[in-house]
Amino acid sequence: MIVIPAYNPIASHYSFSLTTFSPSGKLVQIEYALAAVAAGATSLGIRATNGVVLATEKKLPSILVDESAVQKISLLTPNVGMTYSGMGPDSRVLVRKARKSGQVYYRQLHEQIPVAQLCRETAAVMQEFTQSGGVRPFGVSLLMAGYDDNGPQLYQIDPSGSYFAWKASAIGKNMVNAKTFLEKRYSEDMELEDAIHTALLTLKEGFEGELSGDNIEVAVVGEDRKFRVLTPAEVTDYLAEVE
Amino acid sequence: MMRISCPLIDGPATSAAQDACGLRELGVGGAPVDSFPLPAVQDIDSFEREVVEYVKPNHGTTTLGFIFQGGVIIAVDSRASQGSYISSQTVKKVIEINPYLLGTMAGGAADCQFWERNLGRQCRLYELANGKRITVRGASKLLANTMFSYRGMGLSMGTMVAGWDEAGPGLYYVDSDGQRTKGKLFSVGSGSLYAYGVLDEGYRWDLSVEEAVELGLRSIYHATFRDAASGGTVSVYHVTQEGWTKVRGEDVGELHFRFYPDPAKHPCNSVDPLAV
Amino acid sequence: MSIFEYNGSAIVAMAGKECVAIGSDLRFGVQLQTLATDYKKIYKIHDQLFLGLAGLGTDAETLSQRFAFKHNLYRLREERDIKPSAFGQMVSATLYERRFGPYFCQPVIAGLEPDGTPYLCGMDSIGAQETAKDFMVAGTATDSLLGICESLWRPDLGPEELFETVSQALLSGQDRDCLAGWGAVVYVITKDKVIARTLKGRMD
Repeated sequence: MIVIPAYNPIASHYSFSLTTFSPSGKLVQIEYALAAVAAGATSLGIRATNGVVLATEKKLPSILVDESAVQKISLLTPNVGMTYSGMGPDSRVLVRKARKSGQVYYRQLHEQIPVAQLCRETAAVMQEFTQSGGVRPFGVSLLMAGYDDNGPQLYQIDPSGSYFAWKASAIGKNMVNAKTFLEKRYSEDMELEDAIHTALLTLKEGFEGELSGDNIEVAVVGEDRKFRVLTPAEVTDYLAEVE
Repeated sequence: MMRISCPLIDGPATSAAQDACGLRELGVGGAPVDSFPLPAVQDIDSFEREVVEYVKPNHGTTTLGFIFQGGVIIAVDSRASQGSYISSQTVKKVIEINPYLLGTMAGGAADCQFWERNLGRQCRLYELANGKRITVRGASKLLANTMFSYRGMGLSMGTMVAGWDEAGPGLYYVDSDGQRTKGKLFSVGSGSLYAYGVLDEGYRWDLSVEEAVELGLRSIYHATFRDAASGGTVSVYHVTQEGWTKVRGEDVGELHFRFYPDPAKHPCNSVDPLAV
Repeated sequence: MSIFEYNGSAIVAMAGKECVAIGSDLRFGVQLQTLATDYKKIYKIHDQLFLGLAGLGTDAETLSQRFAFKHNLYRLREERDIKPSAFGQMVSATLYERRFGPYFCQPVIAGLEPDGTPYLCGMDSIGAQETAKDFMVAGTATDSLLGICESLWRPDLGPEELFETVSQALLSGQDRDCLAGWGAVVYVITKDKVIARTLKGRMD
């Protein structure tokens, strides 16, 4: 009897990376991912002398969506949080993995994971998705903010897995203008309260419509090393100060 | 004191123990070694095997004895241990039975102490009954008979009986199995192998007394170094025609640094402990 | 006989004022037979952190190598030395990984935290941690060591006093143990230096 093995593409032992080099040496999938980020809502972060602020647009597709149920800034460990620009579902995968990294570290050493370590671990995950088979890169850039023994820190992580520490940065739709604005407004001796004001002003620059406590999200981490998302009421109060 | 024999009332007045101790033959009444009440268990052998572990401190020991041109040398350490705990560093492991007889202790401390004192008593009674000192051969035989009568009941002893009698120097090894051996050189205890190593290497019949004492001392010292269950002090006895004398009693703590003034030169110190 | 008593060991650690000390005996034996008298049971993790491993010698060596390995990786990853308290947790987690086939070792950790406060902890062979403000002991001579530490230790001892106290405790404690002794090493960790000395002890 002759048996002809059936070819089943799903059960195939090998799957191949979608992220392959183009002849010119580019990874176009990553460029597409960056395009997805550039199309996303603007997010920004500023590192002050005594803390870090993160701010992001929370534009919703319809006024019928309950905006109080949408959260764009996430707590990772008690002293570190992050926001994103790009694809929301992709970011949640990274939030889950980053939170787990933080917990693994804490279980092993009974110490909060340093911001740099959490950033590196998360970036490693993003890198892995540019080289593995059967997956695509994440369609997000991240802004990670935290406070540890090394003081206040702000990191940006891109779909390629590359990351940098920033004094202030912006990602998403309006990033070019926002960065130019931040470059003008940033000063080395800026304190957290000033940084919050600057963040709101920057966001306001490229915003279509009126800023409110409901259509943006702001979070801070200060010397108490507690990362905290501000309530809409607090955001409204800050907005009143900026006017 | 007269005694009427009423075995049914008195219980075992002529017990195996008394027989073995030779008390009946000596015609000694009064306070014989009592027979011991036996535990109320079905299987005495296994009960004893188990229980002997609890009542057997001082298992680790180094003792040695040898005969040479100048008489007999006996040397012992002085450590008593219970498990790995050192319960004493100043135990007397030589029993001075009489001015001409010595017994050494290894094994169960209580067993050795009791039965060697008992041997002393028997020897004294022999003297009183016969008007002359007991021979080393006789004394060791008394002890061996006692051991044999209690064979299998859990006693733990390894002893040497050493002394001087009309036949000259005498040295016997007696243990709780009932074994009794005459010899020129013995070492008994957990450190005995180490002692034998030094002893065999340094022994000669025509050793001077000073050399012989030094050999005994050195053998015990080396045993205390290697054997964790031996230590404390080294005691050396010398037996001659005039009886025994205690010639040395030295703390091992100081002895080591006399043999090896520079710790780094000791063969067991091949690396500097402070080196990382 | 317990496997923890196969080779014999005695370890003491004590906290002082802005300093900690840790010491061990030097015997390496197999049951009652003494094989070496230059075998210390203290391992340096970094300048401000020492680890003592009592118990089975072969497991102690493997563990010390695993911890050196882990600390090397930690240092490359985080570009800093590990804190004693975090190291304690790491040791504990590492030991519990072998809950059902443990390393037969009892660790003692002594170090100075970055702010200069002493850190002391000990644990059993499967990582149950016990931190102490005064002293920790481990090995085959723990009963005697505990007693002598209880009576010798005082709060806020300076480095030299602490050295003296640990040394006396170690030498006295191990003199009541068949399986430990034959000399000792003591390390006193201070903010800017480590005092390391060997002690002469009874050799029986």
